[in-house]
Order: sequence, then structure tokens, then C-alpha cells
Amino acid sequence: MDTLDEIKKILTEILDIEGQEITPETYLVRELGTESIDLLELAVAINAHFHIEVKDDEIFVKALRLHLQKAKDEGFDPAKYLAESYPALTTARIEEILADIEGGPVLKVKDVQSYIEWQTKNKDND
Amino acid sequence: MARRVVITSYSIISSLGTSPSEVIASIRQNKTAFTRSPVDETTFVCPVRDFDIRNYTGPCKERRYLNRGAGFSVAAALAAIKDAGCSTGELNKAGIFVGAGPNLDITSEFPEIINGAMDRPDLMALWMLRFLPNTAAAVIAGRTGIHGENLTTGAACAASTQAIGEAFRKIKDGYLDVALAGGGDSRLHSGGILAYGKAKAISRRTGNPAAASRPFDADRDGFVPGEGGAFFLLEELEHARRRGARIYGEICGFGSSIGGDSLTAPDPSSLYEEEAIRRALEEAALDPSAIDVISAHGTGTLLNDVMEAAMIERIFYRDTHCSNRPFVLALKSWLGHLAATCGAVELAVALTCLHGNILPAIRNLQKPCHKGINFVREGISSAARTLLLENFGFGGQNCALVVKSGNVDE
Repeated sequence: MDTLDEIKKILTEILDIEGQEITPETYLVRELGTESIDLLELAVAINAHFHIEVKDDEIFVKALRLHLQKAKDEGFDPAKYLAESYPALTTARIEEILADIEGGPVLKVKDVQSYIEWQTKNKDND
Repeated sequence: MARRVVITSYSIISSLGTSPSEVIASIRQNKTAFTRSPVDETTFVCPVRDFDIRNYTGPCKERRYLNRGAGFSVAAALAAIKDAGCSTGELNKAGIFVGAGPNLDITSEFPEIINGAMDRPDLMALWMLRFLPNTAAAVIAGRTGIHGENLTTGAACAASTQAIGEAFRKIKDGYLDVALAGGGDSRLHSGGILAYGKAKAISRRTGNPAAASRPFDADRDGFVPGEGGAFFLLEELEHARRRGARIYGEICGFGSSIGGDSLTAPDPSSLYEEEAIRRALEEAALDPSAIDVISAHGTGTLLNDVMEAAMIERIFYRDTHCSNRPFVLALKSWLGHLAATCGAVELAVALTCLHGNILPAIRNLQKPCHKGINFVREGISSAARTLLLENFGFGGQNCALVVKSGNVDE
């Protein structure tokens, strides 16, 4: 099973949403109704399943708005600042997030996937 | 004028069925679910087969936080208000009262804690919610929109009886107009059997599983663990009338007391058990002779039944000069012992039987342990209406309810 399929399985179980379509583009909060309590369980399940360290902010882009405020206050370029805060996300994805920010919580399944793959690679390189 | 409290809906999830008609059919066919425990072959249990909370909730992510007993609680609560016809506004102000037991499912929940950690991939971040007694109440509130006064009671085997009694009082005293009260519990898992086995409270009979639960029989040797849940929608009478609600019965009185003398054994003199019953009768303004039927706690343990039978004789047979000697039921002979929720489920079954004009026999009662009591030995037709429910729990927790079945007198 690849990473995406495993994430889908975990999400389906935690959110009890059998039969609901989940793609890399699916929004966790906007579309699946994920709440903070579910993110807590998701972090624990991902840690246990993939044997990787899970940093809540990095995997769920939790403090996005705080980072942007800080970048603004300190006069940094937002995209560059976010790239440093979220090393698992590609530059293209960060641009996408910045354009999408008015629509609500930006977190997508593919962000969780990127984080897991990035952490797995880091672990393998150790 | 004093406020009166009526039952405008109720639910039942039991080994005899999950609706009043199923329960009546099981009783008429003498069909019970007693069987050998899959986790301990020396023990019999009485399970609810094929229970799936999602049949009541639909998709439900919170079920991960519900132990099996709490799951019965949530399912029964939702079933009780499903067709009750309460508006969102009425539910918003309603109360929720839940009798809950401890989660003793220790072999599933604590297989190997080593140095304070448990290396188990399915251990949830909020695993502890499976142990907090009010998790069921919180999930019920979230799913029903009930947000008023509430209470989770933990009075051992009197917990759900106490929950119903406290809800009754809140309505009677004007704090609420509507309250949902009941409970759910399950102790069939190996932790439950270990716990009650060590306490020498469960039956170790061999042979026919359906013959092990034998309240008030001379050959009784302990209770048989059961499981399930039941909830009642309680409502102030005029409130129920205004919205044209169907009335299933009236709660007329509640009594409770705490003995505390022994942490597990009943007091042989049954001083405080009797006190709870007399308080319930007093609140209902009824003489003992007005009680038609007693739903006894009747666990099938040596100590409870001898104490309870002597007490029933004292209150209802000796001290009363009336010829009306109440019938005595022992529904644990049909359901097993549902621990924290025995009172709610027994009340639901008793009410169902009274509506159906039947009084079910105490199963396996061959040689009564006490003479001169009107134990129901064979199922009978009866127009009995006034019921006394008794439940006693570890810690000397005693509760009694007086309930009249059917519509209220004008």
C-alpha cells in the first residue's frame, strides 16, 4: 500500500467516513469536517503507523496564519518564510496555499502525504 | 399544585430485544440469550447480540471514545428521543442524566503498560475518554442538542435508577421541564468476569446456561453478567399535555439512601435499603398496600436475595393490614445482571410488561428461599399498574422508584 492509500485508510477510520472519496486534493477541514480532536488522533495514528516523528504544526500547517503575521511584522517575504517553516512543502504548494488562504483552512491530504514522505526520507538518511 | 412527572418515550437495548414488541415476544416464547462466556468457559453471560452503535448513530467518529457500556448508553439515549417529537428548543433546555459504570475491560484496554508506556499502535491520543464516566453524556449532548442541567451518576448497580430518580426530582422541583435519563453498561469482558469472580459474586454453575440466573431460588449461587441500555424521556405533565405527547407512565416517587456499612455485602438488617423504599412510597404518597408489583433487585446472589426477601416481607406483608400483597418479579432471571444499568433496563422491561398486561415468571425459581412472598412463579395476565423498582449497589447504594404505568389519572 502506498502512502496515500494508508493515509486514506487512517482518515476513513478516524473520521468514520467509509465510502467517502478522498484524493490528494481533498481538504481535511473544509471538506471532511476534521476537528482539532481528530487532528490529535491523526497525529498519534501517523506516528504509530509510519514510525516517524510528527510535529503538529508542520504536518497540519497549523500555525500558518501566525507565521504569515510574523513574516509581515518582521518584513520577510511570506513565501520564503513559509518555506522555512514548512520544509516538507514544495515552493509550488506554498504559492498555492498563499492564493487559497481566504477560503478557510488550507490543509489538504497531499500536505499530510508530503510531510510523511519527507520525514520518512529524513529518517532513512540518518 | 405539585408538578407531576410522566414518561413520554423510552427505549430498550437488551438481550431480550431492542423494542417493546421484541421483548414481549421473547418473554412469551421463554427465549433468553444466556450462554457460555467466550472468554471464560466456567462462566455464563447474557449478551446483546449484533449490537452496532452505528445502527443508532449513523457514522459516528466519537464511538472510538465509547467503551461498550457507554456505547449502549448513547444508542439507547438516541433511540429514546428519536420519535419523541421534542423540538430543538425543548431539547436545548432539557437535561441529561446518565448512570454509568467503570470500564473494567482491563484485558483489552491495558494489555501491557511497561514503565508508564504502552507500545500499541492503536492507542488513541484521547484513550482516557473510554474511562471518563461522563463521555457518554457528552456524546449524547452533542448528538441530541440537549444542553440543560445534567448529572452522571456512579452509584454502582443503583446508578441508572438514581439517574432516573434525580431527573424526576429536577422536573418535579421545577428546574427542568424535560429530561432524558437512563444508562448503559456491559461487564461481559474478561476484566468484568475477573472482578466479579474474585468477589465471588457470579454464578459458577455448570450445565444449562439458561438455568444459572435464579433469583430467590434456594439453589442460587451468584449472578450472571448481562449488558444493554435503556433511556426514558421524562417530562412535566402539563408540558407533555400541551404538546400532545403520548404518556407511557408516571414517576410518582423516588427514594435513595447509602448504607456504607459493608462496601459490597448488603446489610442483613436491610435498614437503609428499607429506608430508600419507604422514602419512595412517601414521596408517591402511597401506602405499601397500594403497590401492585415489585421489580426486585433479585441478583441471584446468596446475600442479596435473602436480605431483600425478608425486607419485602417486612414492608409489604407484615406491616400492612391490607389484603393486597404485591407480586414480586426478578427480571435478572431474564436479562442477567446489567450492573450500572440494571435499573433502567428493568424499568423498561417491567413497563413493557405492564403495558402488555403480563407479569413474567421468575425463571428457575423452583424452591423459594423465603416463604410467604407472592413471587411470580408462572407468567400471568394482570392489570397491575403500580410498580416499585428496587436496586441496590456496592457501597450500600440503595434506590427505589414508584412508577404507575399507562396514562395518568385526570
